Amino acid sequence: MKNKIDISGLIVEYGERGGKNLALDGVTFSVPEGQFVSVVGSSGCGKSTLLYVLGGLCGFTGGTVLIDGKPVTGPGSDRGFVFQQYSLFPWMTARKNVMFGVAQVRRGYPRREIRAVADEYLNKVGLTNAAHRYPSRLSGGMQQRVAIARTLAMGADVLLMDEPFGAVDAKNRVLLQELLLDLWSDETKRKTVVFVTHDLDEAIFLSDRIIMLTDSPGSVYLDIAVEFPRPRYRDEMMKSIVYDDFRRTLFADFFGQKEKKIERDSFII
Amino acid sequence: MNKKIPLKQRLFRISHLLFAVFLLIQILPPAMSKIRGKTELAIADSAVHAVVFMAAVEIMLIAVSLTVKKRETLVLFSDVSAFVYIVFIAWTLATAKFNFISEQLFPPPGIVLRQVITDVTPLLGHISASLLLIAKGFSLACVTAIPLGLVFGSSARFGTAASMVSKFIGAIPPVVYIPYGIALLPTFKTVSAMVIFLASFWPIFGGTMNGIMLIDRNIVNSARTLGVRRVSMLFDITLNAALPQILLGASQALTVSFILLTSAEMIAARNGLGYYVKNYSDLGNYTRTIVGVIVIGIVISLVFFAFNRLQRFLLRWK
Ligand SMILES: Nc1ncnc2c1ncn2[C@@H]1O[C@H](COP(=O)(O)OP(=O)(O)OP(=O)(O)O)[C@@H](O)[C@H]1O
Ligand SMILES: [Mg+2]
Repeated sequence: MKNKIDISGLIVEYGERGGKNLALDGVTFSVPEGQFVSVVGSSGCGKSTLLYVLGGLCGFTGGTVLIDGKPVTGPGSDRGFVFQQYSLFPWMTARKNVMFGVAQVRRGYPRREIRAVADEYLNKVGLTNAAHRYPSRLSGGMQQRVAIARTLAMGADVLLMDEPFGAVDAKNRVLLQELLLDLWSDETKRKTVVFVTHDLDEAIFLSDRIIMLTDSPGSVYLDIAVEFPRPRYRDEMMKSIVYDDFRRTLFADFFGQKEKKIERDSFII
Repeated sequence: MNKKIPLKQRLFRISHLLFAVFLLIQILPPAMSKIRGKTELAIADSAVHAVVFMAAVEIMLIAVSLTVKKRETLVLFSDVSAFVYIVFIAWTLATAKFNFISEQLFPPPGIVLRQVITDVTPLLGHISASLLLIAKGFSLACVTAIPLGLVFGSSARFGTAASMVSKFIGAIPPVVYIPYGIALLPTFKTVSAMVIFLASFWPIFGGTMNGIMLIDRNIVNSARTLGVRRVSMLFDITLNAALPQILLGASQALTVSFILLTSAEMIAARNGLGYYVKNYSDLGNYTRTIVGVIVIGIVISLVFFAFNRLQRFLLRWK
């Protein structure tokens, strides 16, 4: 299978005058088309930065970043982005938000058609009845569903999601994860997804593969396949011994890495 | 919200009590000290005007109380009329009944009301002259300040500079433009419109730029990932996101405009509400002076009421 995303030796430095802040230090990995990858790592390790670079929202200092073999130079409608929160336009209703997205990729289409596409995707995320509401009148979970509907309705091949369920309560989070998997597997041509989270269970449940970054500055610490068959059912998965083992190793890596870092830091002092 | 308001709550309100008090104080004998035959008659006659006016307010209040759907509206209406009654009670007592204030300077309410009725046509003319000037200056400020604010605010380099300049110029009390305007411009109308324009421009311009600087990064990033084009970015995203601040600037501009307009009209106009007040106070006609002051108050309140409605509509998504 051909690679959708190729990142090699990616270095991102946030240059404030005087002190330079290295956010990513030589990140290298590729994502084949149609794969669901989760990027995990502790807070501040550069997950968002990595995603922003992929989305073309943030420049980088070194390395190469290719989508479909072409260098990323800015945002594009081949990539859809879902942010953690507050990414809907508050002055547009849920439907208008989705329509506005669709209108950006289907320029010159009649409004009726754009509206039909928007309604179709609002229906898929179960928000037909809330279509006329403004984001301020929607719960955090509903807002994220609208954001997902907007991104999917635009039909990008690559989905970049930055902790999209990070601000949603535990129960809705589980529901949203299931919804996302359903939508992702329903598409005839599976989308390539890069999903940032710091919830390991979320990463295991959703992805084909997990990339763990080191603490800041981020580089790839661990790159591991998640070989649970799809379709996945949360209850069955959680019950299996394989899951327990996998989860334990992953957590050990996640926290072990921190301890190592602390040792090193104290040594320096 | 949609709970029915019981009839008792609709009708048993303190305002009605105040209305009764107002009627009762009419029985008090007029102040005896300065009464000469003519004044006595005039005051008795004017009391009729006051009572008729108050009765009209009362009837309106009852009509509203019986039909209104929302509790808040009911409370608002009865509170406002209670306020009107209190003012009229105090006014009547202080003038017609006890003569605390010289009746030359401060005639009783009935006489003022009668004057309003006689002057209705010229007053409407003055009101429309004033509003027209405000509309000219203010709308010119809106159509120039908002686009310029958008352009300057979107540029990182010019934005900070423009924002400093606008803070500096905006800090100058706009009254100082009046003498310059009078010296430089041909007619009073252009002077007023110009001064109102200048005074309104900076708050709106500053508000627009402020709004742009306060835009949530997420909104901008989100728009960029959608692939929004430049023009659409400006009008569909930036303008809307900055709208709350733009409207804040506009309401400041409107306040300043009215202050300036009335001051300017007092200095050099041939019509308008400021002229009406100034002219009659110069002539020593304090009844008309008070009429003018009250009408100015009412006009400004109504304009702001309309502006707030518009603002609520435009920001209904908040
Ligand atoms: N705009 C910026 N300017 C300067 N430094 C930044 C900027 N954005 C992020 N950083 C720095 O880069 C590093 C990585 O930040 P990033 O937001 O990518 O982390 P993250 O892994 O997404 O963290 P979190 O899990 O908390 O969201 C941090 O040290 C942060 O302080
Ligand atoms: Mg982040």
